Amino acid sequence: MDLDQLLEISNQCIHSEPPVCVASCPVHMDVIAFVSEVEKGNFSGAYKMMESKIPLSRLIGKICDHPCETACVRSHAGGSIRIGELEKSVVTFGYSAPKKPLLLPKNKGNIVVIGGGLSGCVAAIELDKKGYKVALFEKSNRLGGRLWEYVSKGLEAREIEEELGMIEQKGIAVHYGVEVLEEDLPRYLETYDAIYLGARTWSKSYTVDPHSFQSEISALFIGGGIQNPNALMIESASSGKRAAVSIDRYITQSSMLASREREGVFETKLHYATDQVAPLASVPLIASIYSQDEATAEASRCLKCQCDACIKACVHMQRFSITPDSYIRSICHNERIVLGTRRANLMINSCTECGLCKAVCPVGIGMADIIHATRESMVKRNKMPLSAHDFVLKDMAFSQSDYFSLVRKQPSKEASKDLFYYPMIAFSAYARGLYKGSGKTGYLFYPGCQLSSTHTDYIGSIYKHLVGVIKEKDAMSDVGLFLGCCGAPADWAGRGDLMHDNVEKIRQTWEAEGRPTFILACSSCASTFAKYLPMIQTVSLWEIFDTYGLPEVDIKKGKRELCIHDACATRDNHKIHESIRNIVKTLGYSVQELEYSKEKTKCCGYGGLVACANPEQAEEFAADRICESDPDVLVYCAMCKDMLVKGNKRAYHILDIIYANEINQETPQKMPTLSDRQNNRKRLKRQLLKEIWNEEEEGAMDPTYDFALHISDEITALMEKRFILLGDVEKVVANSLSHQERFFNPKSSDYLARLRIQNVTYWVRYEESGRDITVKDAYMHRMEVVEG
Amino acid sequence: MNEHIDTTTEWVCDKCRQALVSQKVKVRYLDGNFEVDLLKCPTCQMVFISDELAMGKMLEVEKGLEDK
Repeated sequence: MDLDQLLEISNQCIHSEPPVCVASCPVHMDVIAFVSEVEKGNFSGAYKMMESKIPLSRLIGKICDHPCETACVRSHAGGSIRIGELEKSVVTFGYSAPKKPLLLPKNKGNIVVIGGGLSGCVAAIELDKKGYKVALFEKSNRLGGRLWEYVSKGLEAREIEEELGMIEQKGIAVHYGVEVLEEDLPRYLETYDAIYLGARTWSKSYTVDPHSFQSEISALFIGGGIQNPNALMIESASSGKRAAVSIDRYITQSSMLASREREGVFETKLHYATDQVAPLASVPLIASIYSQDEATAEASRCLKCQCDACIKACVHMQRFSITPDSYIRSICHNERIVLGTRRANLMINSCTECGLCKAVCPVGIGMADIIHATRESMVKRNKMPLSAHDFVLKDMAFSQSDYFSLVRKQPSKEASKDLFYYPMIAFSAYARGLYKGSGKTGYLFYPGCQLSSTHTDYIGSIYKHLVGVIKEKDAMSDVGLFLGCCGAPADWAGRGDLMHDNVEKIRQTWEAEGRPTFILACSSCASTFAKYLPMIQTVSLWEIFDTYGLPEVDIKKGKRELCIHDACATRDNHKIHESIRNIVKTLGYSVQELEYSKEKTKCCGYGGLVACANPEQAEEFAADRICESDPDVLVYCAMCKDMLVKGNKRAYHILDIIYANEINQETPQKMPTLSDRQNNRKRLKRQLLKEIWNEEEEGAMDPTYDFALHISDEITALMEKRFILLGDVEKVVANSLSHQERFFNPKSSDYLARLRIQNVTYWVRYEESGRDITVKDAYMHRMEVVEG
Repeated sequence: MNEHIDTTTEWVCDKCRQALVSQKVKVRYLDGNFEVDLLKCPTCQMVFISDELAMGKMLEVEKGLEDK
């Protein structure tokens, strides 16, 4: 993984981009922090915010021309935040006299400031702060220049005197009544290390760099009135401050322009959208300034503009309090660790890779591809936590094994001749389809592993329906069946090696079957085929249903409303979105669209194997999705249904409504356990072979035991949580009975047994009564305990 | 893995009918190798791990090693 390239992506994230008010403020006051303090009623805290950015803040705060207000995005939703008025209130209610300045040694250099107007005063103060010995020459008998024009127009003479009096108290040598002229400059240049020229007018014109304020004489810096005669007060203050930075860089011989691109007013990349913001008018100004309550109310109107579209949409980013920019930095840090703890592992394995962040990001940054690449890199370096995906990868291996995996052509005409009799041939489209068998597989129905696990009993009916409707319209194309796993779990786990092998097997089957079109029923399969098997033409089962017709079911109009939860894997598949909606409407339901739907749909929590790596995070995804919808939810991905039902939301797979198996409202919905799912896959293969191909599976693959296992719902739930299969429990018990490898508790008469199966040791506590075994506990550890 | 493990238990080895004794036992996971006091049958050496230990401390150490 190219970490530098990754960091470049993080730099494009505009989460930390300043709001337009800050960008349009010549001194970049942190308006959001300032307003937030006012909102809390903390006026002294707000004043501190002003003080840290605005020079002579007690004065400027009262007379600032507030260019921030013109820029404020609230202007389109009730009027700009009256930041200028808030500043006045804050100065009034929050100002406290600064502590007596510490007289630090001024040994960095000698600077002369010519002109005691606002920019000169600010430059002098800033340079003094930076450790320079400053001499300030003012031709009149007082400092402040234009500030005095504001007496009785916002400022009191007393305030100006007090504030500017601080300058001399700091130890800056102020020389009144001294007019410095152009011809004096060479002498000053000899005496001082640098000059700041802040006079209002000057006899000679110099070329001044607008960013650094440096003139063609490198030790001469020019700001204030000469540089910009029409400057706003805050702009004059800004020029003095920025010139002081330049003088410091000049004297310390550091780069004059590095990292200064955004000094002064700049254009922010943040364009905060206000179209969804309810208008709210400004708090009217009744007296000369806002009261504290009025100021607090006005401050609360601030939208605190920040780009947080992805965070708002994603409970994963919320859980880890992270934004793409900081996320990427964490990943880079995690990747660079050689020795030590990789603290970001859990976070990286808690992203569903659903792609919503990219769909909502104004600059198009998406974490899915980054997370995927990171997981692959972790696997390659042998740094992927084993337990995160172990169970799911074993389950995938199960799907690829002979227990489930199956490829069959459409039963031949010859093999099906028993069906070709009246009335069968007249009433069964399936029988007619078989009768038209061409021997050439035009389509392969690929239901996928998860749908087969949880909606097992639909698969045979769907297959027969497909043979019927497809052969009706396209007599040349037979419909075959392919049971297996597309490899999505390996892809999510970053197992490029497994993915490659799996994809290759699918491709070979496709070639061997004469390159048929795959009919996909699972959203993850659709996404995996698009990504890894682009040469294979695919069509979703839902599009087939929509185009060729639905199985014959009892369709009643005027059924209730359902909200559609689109599967995140089909985010960009508009054909699926459309066909699902068509089917739902054909079946007589009305559709309620969720706020996050279609290309902006949210993940149910199963994506990215989060349900395995971080179950709590997965539950949060489901809960977040559930609270979005009031009516029952309609899904078309088996895993979505599983996650939502487990979160106690009534959810139907589209097949449930197609086959009119919408469960009674009173009955709680239940999803098959992990063990049921494996058994269902085995059962499906066996049933289909028998029913459709008239084949008996060779060799009984299931072990048989001479004991009967009893497991309560409570223990079943515990096993689910711990990813322990019934088959594992059986193996432990069987081993303990045949080898008497077990502990006994004389008090409770319970037995406790263990068995290491592959890389996990399983423990089962049980009660034995004849051949009845009642399981009381089941747990596991991966750590290997060396016995003997 | 250095935490004190409960060394008293009602459990006995069913095959050997022996009370369990606390002894140093080697445990390993990924690159981690430890020796810890665990309860075991003095005769057949079968080691006893409770639910609390497996799903508590052992799980924590496993996760810690996985992140190394």
